[in-house]
Amino acid sequence: MSLQGKLALVTGGGRGIGRAIALKLASQGADIIVDFFRRRDTAEQTAKDIEALGVKAEAIRANVGDPAKIDEMFDMIGNKFGHLDILISNAASGVGRPVMDIDTKAWEWTMDINVRACLLCAQRAAKLMEGRGGKIISLSSLGSFLVWPTYAIVGVSKAALEALTRYLAIELAPRGICVNTVAASFVDTEALKFYFDEQLNRANLPITPAGRMVTPEDVANVVAFLCSDEAFMIRGQTIIVDGGFSIYTPLFALEKKD
Amino acid sequence: MTIEEQIREIMARITRVDESLITRESTFKDIKADSLDVVQALVAVEETFGIEIPDEEAQKFKNFGDFVAYVENGVAQKEGV
Repeated sequence: MSLQGKLALVTGGGRGIGRAIALKLASQGADIIVDFFRRRDTAEQTAKDIEALGVKAEAIRANVGDPAKIDEMFDMIGNKFGHLDILISNAASGVGRPVMDIDTKAWEWTMDINVRACLLCAQRAAKLMEGRGGKIISLSSLGSFLVWPTYAIVGVSKAALEALTRYLAIELAPRGICVNTVAASFVDTEALKFYFDEQLNRANLPITPAGRMVTPEDVANVVAFLCSDEAFMIRGQTIIVDGGFSIYTPLFALEKKD
Repeated sequence: MTIEEQIREIMARITRVDESLITRESTFKDIKADSLDVVQALVAVEETFGIEIPDEEAQKFKNFGDFVAYVENGVAQKEGV
């Protein structure tokens, strides 16, 4: 198992894509710290499921939107483990509104969790990776360059996250840290149901050439690859996992009719 | 200040609604609290009183009074009363 003996922190690791990533890294031998915020039950269940794979797991509560809570979490990791090998910045939030309805409160809430937290976690993680190198992977979204209804704040936050990833990749390279981002299209999770209804989900299927929606496991597989040494030369990139959704054009639908 | 007064102050600060308009019978809708306001209020109350309010419990609050009662109960349990 390629991640044997490694320690990974997955923010928002209790459910959805974060849970799938936590389980995937655990299946490759990594010990996992599952950060959660609102749902202790799912995080503790995920920790149990990880332990069943024969590695160590710990669920800890930290709102990554609050810098003091990020510090507390990393102080705990530093005191208890003294190091970290992998940081998965997966925790995200957002307020679904048209641009004209965005206020500073919704903006700050989203930016603090989706972007600032990734910077602050990367800074603290890099120190725990001192002398051993590491991997930092963040989760973005195709909404960073595609425009979806009421997705403006989240889309902008993800665009900023992708830019942050490029800067981190270059500036942390001398420390032996690989930094990348994975951007998925519509992934079947609870969060998706929050933003978009089932109807929109169904509408996307015909324009996804791979023939099915992206699953959390599809995303986790790519994240796990980026955490492996085989991905050593991939730096600062946004890897898209969307079954061809973002490059498909309606012209192919016309072609099928002929 | 009582627990109720402290929670009322937090809700008023977050929703920018006058404290006098927040009664035990007020729903979150009455005080124009959207889902972000509610989450922020939960977080602020959790930190003020050192308790945890799971989302699934918060979803059961029909009005401000339910919110206050849950916190009062949580604080009492924490203090072993």
